Amino acid sequence: MDSRRDALDGGAMTHIRIANVSKFFGATCALSDVSLEVKSGSILALLGENGAGKSTLIKILSGIYPPDAGRIELDGQPAHFKSLPEAIAAGVVLVPQELRVAGALSVAENMLLGYLPSRRVAGLLPCVDARAMKESARAILGDLDVNIDVDARARDLTFAERQLVVIGRALGHKTRILILDEPTASLERRETERLFTVLRRLRNQGVTIIYISHRLEEVDILADECAVLRDGRLAAMSSAPFERNDLIHAMTGRELDLQAGGARSAGDVRVSVSLPGGALTCRQGEVIGLGGLLGSGATELLRRLFGVRSGRPGERNSEYPRDVPAAIENGVGFVPGERALSLVMALSVRDNIVLPHISAFCTASGRDEQKITAAVVRLMTLLDIRPHNPDMPVRGLSGGNQQKVVFAKWLAGRLDLLLLDEPTNGVDIAAKAHIHRYIADFASSGGAVILSSSDMPELLGLSDCVVALRQGRVVGRVSRDNTYGEASLRALLETAV
Amino acid sequence: MSFLGRWRTNVVNQIPALVLVAMCVASTLMSDRFLSSTNITNVLLQAAVLAVISVGMTFVVIGGGFDLSVGSIVGLSGCVAAEVMLRAGIFAGVVSGIATGAAVGLANGLVIARANVSPFIATLGSMVFVRGLALLMTKGAPVVGDDGLPAGFIWFGTARLFGIPWPVLAAIFIFAIFAWVLHKTAFGTRVFATGGSREAAFLSGVPVRRVTLLVYVICGITAGIAGVMLAARLQSGQPTAGEFYELTAIAAVVLGGAALHGGEGYLYKTMIGVLIMTVLTNSLNLMGVDSYWQRIAIGVVIVAAAAADQLRAKVN
Repeated sequence: MDSRRDALDGGAMTHIRIANVSKFFGATCALSDVSLEVKSGSILALLGENGAGKSTLIKILSGIYPPDAGRIELDGQPAHFKSLPEAIAAGVVLVPQELRVAGALSVAENMLLGYLPSRRVAGLLPCVDARAMKESARAILGDLDVNIDVDARARDLTFAERQLVVIGRALGHKTRILILDEPTASLERRETERLFTVLRRLRNQGVTIIYISHRLEEVDILADECAVLRDGRLAAMSSAPFERNDLIHAMTGRELDLQAGGARSAGDVRVSVSLPGGALTCRQGEVIGLGGLLGSGATELLRRLFGVRSGRPGERNSEYPRDVPAAIENGVGFVPGERALSLVMALSVRDNIVLPHISAFCTASGRDEQKITAAVVRLMTLLDIRPHNPDMPVRGLSGGNQQKVVFAKWLAGRLDLLLLDEPTNGVDIAAKAHIHRYIADFASSGGAVILSSSDMPELLGLSDCVVALRQGRVVGRVSRDNTYGEASLRALLETAV
Repeated sequence: MSFLGRWRTNVVNQIPALVLVAMCVASTLMSDRFLSSTNITNVLLQAAVLAVISVGMTFVVIGGGFDLSVGSIVGLSGCVAAEVMLRAGIFAGVVSGIATGAAVGLANGLVIARANVSPFIATLGSMVFVRGLALLMTKGAPVVGDDGLPAGFIWFGTARLFGIPWPVLAAIFIFAIFAWVLHKTAFGTRVFATGGSREAAFLSGVPVRRVTLLVYVICGITAGIAGVMLAARLQSGQPTAGEFYELTAIAAVVLGGAALHGGEGYLYKTMIGVLIMTVLTNSLNLMGVDSYWQRIAIGVVIVAAAAADQLRAKVN
């Protein structure tokens, strides 16, 4: 038959075909009539803002949700998995954002958990064949050209190494399709590069990869195809090379000015602490960036500036606040890198916003609900938090809106020093632009900001001066003069001590 | 959300109340004595002690913890109250009974909040320890004194106001106060935040250790009050009083729909859970069901309620 000959000759057989897939949650339409095809052995980047339907789509592909309408075919065969294990058995494996590894087990055990090789002791008692297990694990990691000790406990690995273990686990399953949900969100640059090398190698071995990301620059260097979802619909589909502005337009439905900033002048010193290698000083109306690679100590420094004590001896120091309530009282706000650390997910938007300053919203007869409502409605309008329902639990909001709630929390009381740790981690482009504008406005109005970010364009774009940190030491400074830029910051961070 | 979806969510959220109504209707149909005023009063009287314990347990559970020691506190505080009362009068007895509960709660709270021992282990230990203390103090015998406990104290356990027994009024009063604390004060919001996410609460300026400590103190106080109330009803301090109350109270809290992982719940719903447990026992008694079978039925109800809670979580 001709069609069959075509498939064999052409070599470009379609691996995944998603046809007219729709999904509803209650009356909310999460995916509407989405159709797309991914060729065997290619990398598809799936883009879209928070709530665009990316997660729903990959959950349908990997068997977590059934679609309400439409078909999914793998190599022309219908593929409607009823559960995650069923999808894995068929070679479709999801690497979620939050990795599931058994911390107490070894790397080898984690990788081969589902099909541990066994042997019989004295021809009778079945037991795990540890040697065969380690050999298989080593072989898989060797294929990936990754150097991780297979005997190490999973809990001792870095996040990036765990991710590679999870990918290695997937490969043990004869994976045909590997789906990664924002794999680079918590990685630093070198780790990202190593991950990309691994993904390219897998693609060349014929694995089809679907990859979700918010970072457009990564899409440029990694993906062969790119699909953009917006409001549950396929908004654009294109092949490399990609036109960045077109992608942004497809994602947001409008053009965005990603540059933040405005004229501002530095005032009095708001905070000054001495660190090994130099002082860190931040004035009113100034944004100080903290640049560093993983383990730079920036997170620890921000936490100490917020009054969090590590419990180590000798850290009593009058330069830092006594404790968290004292810092808040003194007008300090902190946005941690993980939203799970900054919001109580089960609590309403309203209660999350007033939590840091709750005493100020109470009278002798208890919470002053009228005053709370007035403040919450004002802040939700100011920051454009959607949906505009203060009584909704925060976990029901998209990532970008959750992050706006974190900012709203600190605005509910006095705020003149804002400590930011990866403030746009996992936030979509439109919300990111909002947050950047907000940070710049806050500094223009006289607020002091100390910002740590692994996103270099963000760090350099927002800061007046970037302090380079390595293991809690100040190793240099990049100020806004003619050398200001990524190259000089990288030079400071990456040169040997 | 569509009208139907919202309606469904509302119905699922009210499952405990619907179960209670259904149980009352079924009991009425099966026994003509159920709706008699004697029986209703009896149900409320039985519910009163459990209700007071469950108030404190709700604080602990919403705060992300667990307290197995409340049954033993009921026993010890009743004995302490009776013992002190015989020597120093009613007022001193009642105060020292409640203070006993507060002291055990404080110890629980310190071990859990300061020494970071898991609530399950810490309160399992104090459950056994405190029961031992009660038995040791009384040498295993009820505390009644030579002429019985003071008449005023016994009067509290039996007298009524407008037909409502005093213990029931006391339970309603305690419920009202603590419902205000939990749902209307800054402290209450901090309890929800601590149970919902300790780390996020801490980084929002909530003194999480103090909040954890205080919820166990509250739980100890309410268990102490319940112990004194029970002693008044039993007209003696019984060292074995309150056995299994910890399990019944936890069951009542869960039946009321509070999440066992903390951060979610309503005090009034716990009261519905308390009434479900009490009405269940009462109607099984009225129907003459064998007490061994009663235990089996209660066990089934607890598991079924937990399963219904999962359904609720899914719909929400």
